[in-house]
This record gives sequence, C-alpha cells and structure tokens, in this order.
Amino acid sequence: MTVVADRTTPDAAVVAPPAARRVSNSLRSLGVAVIGVAVMVAWASQSGFKKDLLLLTGTYALIALGMYVPFVLVGRLSLAYGAYAAIGAYAVALVARETDWPLLTAWVLGALVSAVVGIVLGAATARLSTWYLASATILFSIAFQSWLNDSRDISGGAVGLGGIRSFEVFGWTLTRDQSIYAAAVLVVVVGFLLDRLRLSPWGVTARAIREAPLVVESSGVRVPWMVLIALGLGAGVASLGGSLFTSSVGSITPETFTTQIVFLALFMPLLGGVGTPWGAALGAAIVVQLTLNASSLSNSGTLILALGVILMLLVSPNGLLTLGDRIRKLAHSVTKRGPTDG
Amino acid sequence: MSEMQLWIAAIEVGCFFALLGLAFLLVWQGTGDFNFAIGPLAMIGALCASWLVVENGYAVWPAVFLGVALVLALSAVVELGVVRPIAARTTHHLPAVIAIAAVLFAIMQGAGVFFGRTSLPGQPLLTIDPLTVAGATLLPSTLLLVVATVVAFVAVLLWARFARSGRLLRAVGNNADAARVLGLPVSRVRLMAFLLAGALAALAGLLYAPKGGIGFDRGLTWTMMGFLVVVVGGTGSLWAPLVAGLLLGSLEIFLPYYFSASTPDYVMLALALVFFAFRPEGLFMKRVRA
Repeated sequence: MTVVADRTTPDAAVVAPPAARRVSNSLRSLGVAVIGVAVMVAWASQSGFKKDLLLLTGTYALIALGMYVPFVLVGRLSLAYGAYAAIGAYAVALVARETDWPLLTAWVLGALVSAVVGIVLGAATARLSTWYLASATILFSIAFQSWLNDSRDISGGAVGLGGIRSFEVFGWTLTRDQSIYAAAVLVVVVGFLLDRLRLSPWGVTARAIREAPLVVESSGVRVPWMVLIALGLGAGVASLGGSLFTSSVGSITPETFTTQIVFLALFMPLLGGVGTPWGAALGAAIVVQLTLNASSLSNSGTLILALGVILMLLVSPNGLLTLGDRIRKLAHSVTKRGPTDG
Repeated sequence: MSEMQLWIAAIEVGCFFALLGLAFLLVWQGTGDFNFAIGPLAMIGALCASWLVVENGYAVWPAVFLGVALVLALSAVVELGVVRPIAARTTHHLPAVIAIAAVLFAIMQGAGVFFGRTSLPGQPLLTIDPLTVAGATLLPSTLLLVVATVVAFVAVLLWARFARSGRLLRAVGNNADAARVLGLPVSRVRLMAFLLAGALAALAGLLYAPKGGIGFDRGLTWTMMGFLVVVVGGTGSLWAPLVAGLLLGSLEIFLPYYFSASTPDYVMLALALVFFAFRPEGLFMKRVRA
C-alpha cells in the first residue's frame, strides 16, 4: 500500500487540497459525526428495543462503510457484503464456542478471511466491467448462505449458533451499555479513518481510477492492484460489522445477513451522500429507522426506501449531503446577490 | 423419477432461462446496459395475472393481458422515467447502477405490497390433458413453454436480421453516438429494446409460473439466472441464450438429483468464476477480422 501511495504523490499534490485544510475538513466532519452519534446514543438510552436498533445501526453502518471503499471511492460494485458480515459474525461465534481465545482475535480473523475472499473474487473479474464483479459476488453470497445452511457441523445449519460468551477486552467484560458506547466509538473511528483515507494520496488516486482508469493506469499506477486492495479493505471493514452483531446479540443464523442487506447497503451511501464516508453511516441510520423502527411502515418500509432512492437519484444524483451543499451554495449566492439586486 | 422426466424438466427450466437471457441480451444489444429489472418484471407479470384470477375472479385471458400490459408499462417507466433522466444528469455510471438496483427492489417490494406476500399458483394457458412421452408425463404448461420459446427465438432472430427496426437496434447498440450523428432515432430504439425485453420477460414469467407457483421474492434469482445465461452464452449471437439456458437448466435439474439441493449454487459460482477468469466473452462471440 505504501509503495502505491509513494508513487502517486506527485498526482496527489496537484489534485488534493493543502494538507492543513484537509485536516481541518476531516476534523470538522468528525465533530459533526461525534455529535450525531452522541444524539443517537442518548436517544437509545431509555429503551432496550432502541438499544438493539442502535447496535444494528452500528452493524449496518460498518457494512455500508465497507461498501463505501470499493463502491464510492473506486467505483467497483461488489455485492458480497452480506457474506463478508456473515464471515465476521461466524468467526466470533466459532472462536467463542471452539476455543478460549479472546474474542478480539475472532474480529481480526474474520476481517482477514473476508479480505482474502474479497480479493479472490475481485481477481477473478479484474479486467471485466463492474457487472461481472457484481454477479460473481452475489453468486458467492448465495452459495455461501447455502453452505451455512448445509454444514450443520460447522455453522450449526439453519438454526445457527447461539449462547456466545459476551465480549471482553483484557479480562474486562463489557456490560450492554458499555458495548453500545464501544460500538459507537468503533463506528466513529472507522468512519474517521476512511475519511482520512479518502483525502490521502491513496484515496485521491482511487477516486481518479473511478473517473478515468485508463489515464491513471497510463501514469504508472497499477490499477488492478489498487482495486483489489480496495475490495479487500472494504470486505474487512464489513466483516467488523458482522463481528459487532454477534458480539452484542450473542447468536447468529444464516438468515441474519442476506442478499437483501446488500441492496440496503447499496442505498446507504447514496441516501446519506457520497461526499464523505459519514454519508454511509447516516444512510445506515436512515435505513434502520425506515425499515425497522417505523412499525406502521414495516410492511412497505423497503418499498418506500427503494422509491425514495429512485426519487432522490432523479433530484440529486449524488446524495443527500451534496443536496445540502447545493442548497447552501444557492443560499450563499442569493444572499451575496441580495444587495446588488435590491 | 425417470431419466426422461428429468430431461423434460431440464428442457423446461432451460427454456425459461433462455427467454430471460434473450431479454437481457436484447437490452444489451440495443443500449449497452444490463437491465437488471428483467427478473422482477417476469415475476410481476405472472403474479399480477394470478392475483387477478385467484383473488379477484377474473377469467384467465383478460388477467394475462393485464399482466403483460403492466410489465410493458413498467418497462417503459424504467427507461423513460429512471434510466434516461439519470443518465442525462450525470456522467457517472454509479447513479444509474444504483437506480436499476432500486428499481429491482421497488418492483419486488411493490409486488409484495400490492399483490400480497403469499405465493399464488400460476395460471394454465393451455388446457389439454397431459401427454405421455417415453413413459414420462409432459404437462401442457411445459409443452407451451417450450413451443413459445422456440417461436420467440425464431421471431426475434428473423426480426433482428430482416426488419428495419431490428437492424436499427444493432446499429444503435454498436455505437449510439455514431447512430445519433447519422440521424437514427436513438431514443426510440432504446425504448423499443426495453419494451421488447419486457414482453419476453412477461412471456417467460407467465409460462413458467404454473411449474412452481409465483411469489414476489422470485425476481432476484431470476435476474441472476438471466444474467448468467448471457455471461455463459456470450453476446455474439442471438442463439447463444438458448444454448446457455439449456446448459444451465440441465445443471439446475440434474445436480440436485444426483448430489444435494445446494450443489447448483456452488456449481453456478464455480462456473461463473471460471468463465469470468478464462472466457469472459462467453461461448459464442463474433469474430471480426481486422
């Protein structure tokens, strides 16, 4: 990774904003994100159901953040994020049942396995258009879910695995409230790191690949490698989401992370806005509220979501946060023009 | 189950896959895009017809007519209301990708909301007694699906080769900009590709529904199968989906019989990876001498 970054520094110097502004930009986003997460934690503090929803939001947010790296930065559509999350989830469950290792190793193992799978699927479709990656990954998800259902000895079959011991770090067992805080911190840290990654030379090169892969390739960057790294990184982050789910809920079945989640995760960055990774996290919160919390909508929640996505693409093809930017610019130009007009 | 019965089932499923693949291929040839809403479109036509018959007491043929009309209307909406305006507003291909995924999702969920989430029986369009072929039963619905598939393939092939609109489709698909410069009606041809694909999808869904019933959640797997047919068959010939469809149909029927129910899932993944890695152009491709 560092080799790639070094090679792209001259490009980045041209495209990227000055370092000081980059830092202050991402610190400002971080501040807004921390406030947002704090509001959500406060919202959930009174009810057990809301706490469950919040942990699910964290899981979805990590899946969406994982998807953000290859999909929004590099422009590659991988649809195996349900499977990557399931790998992370089953890693925790298996380590908890079969070994007495600390559960943190399971998080790392799951992320590594997911990254390898993501890279292999990416390598098989490296020189093809994004549709081929999409179908290879969705076929993998379907096959993986069948395998989870089939192999009763390993994954517990359709019933899944339950009774997983609670999460502990260095001998300190987390209470439910503490695990919610830990999940919130994890999402914020991952979001911040990805935001820094987006603005780093590597991120700038990745975004350039999305726009013009041939140009980037011809300036000496190994585009297929960059894409594979992005796919592996995204898979690893999504796997953390699955690990978070199992660690907090204590059980996992093959039905937990289905292909449906992948499509929801596809909408999340767009709902929140593709400008920063925080958009993906915001989108995850919106999706959980629409599909699970709004009980009167629960039957048609996903329909409303899909129609909402189409509508938003028609109004603002780059997502909600950019819509906010546009409104601000519009307001700015109106207030500026005000005196000369009147 | 006799060997012959398995072959009949394989041909039936294969013909269904072939029709879905042909619908994919027509949109691809006309627009250079994959219309991933094909599976849900096939589903909603059949579900709408069954819903009208079972829940609302319609006769079969008016219900089928309304089902097809719904699919054609939705196909037109997908192209005119979603794909075209979004593609016109952004140079990015991601918004269009997400839009098609959202359409896929919206059609499936919409079908669940409007027509109910329980599976309904497919409506028989041919009411004759089952035939017996070499000791195996040949249901009228199977016969109709196979005959309709052959007719549809011959018709589409003749149309693409001899009709003016068929040649326009290939011209626009090859190079939309050049076609526009030549003054060809690019938008009309695109719309035609979407409508024709919708009609084929509706046909496939309606004729296949009697086999296992029809529910709102079928769309996604059907989309995957249709796309896989195009990947395996390649985009070089309009016959390719028929060959690839029959091949995949045989796998889908014989593997569960001899191995386990989920073997097709594993084999499809392996097959897709092998094709993507070693022969992404598919079995049949046009060879152009330079």
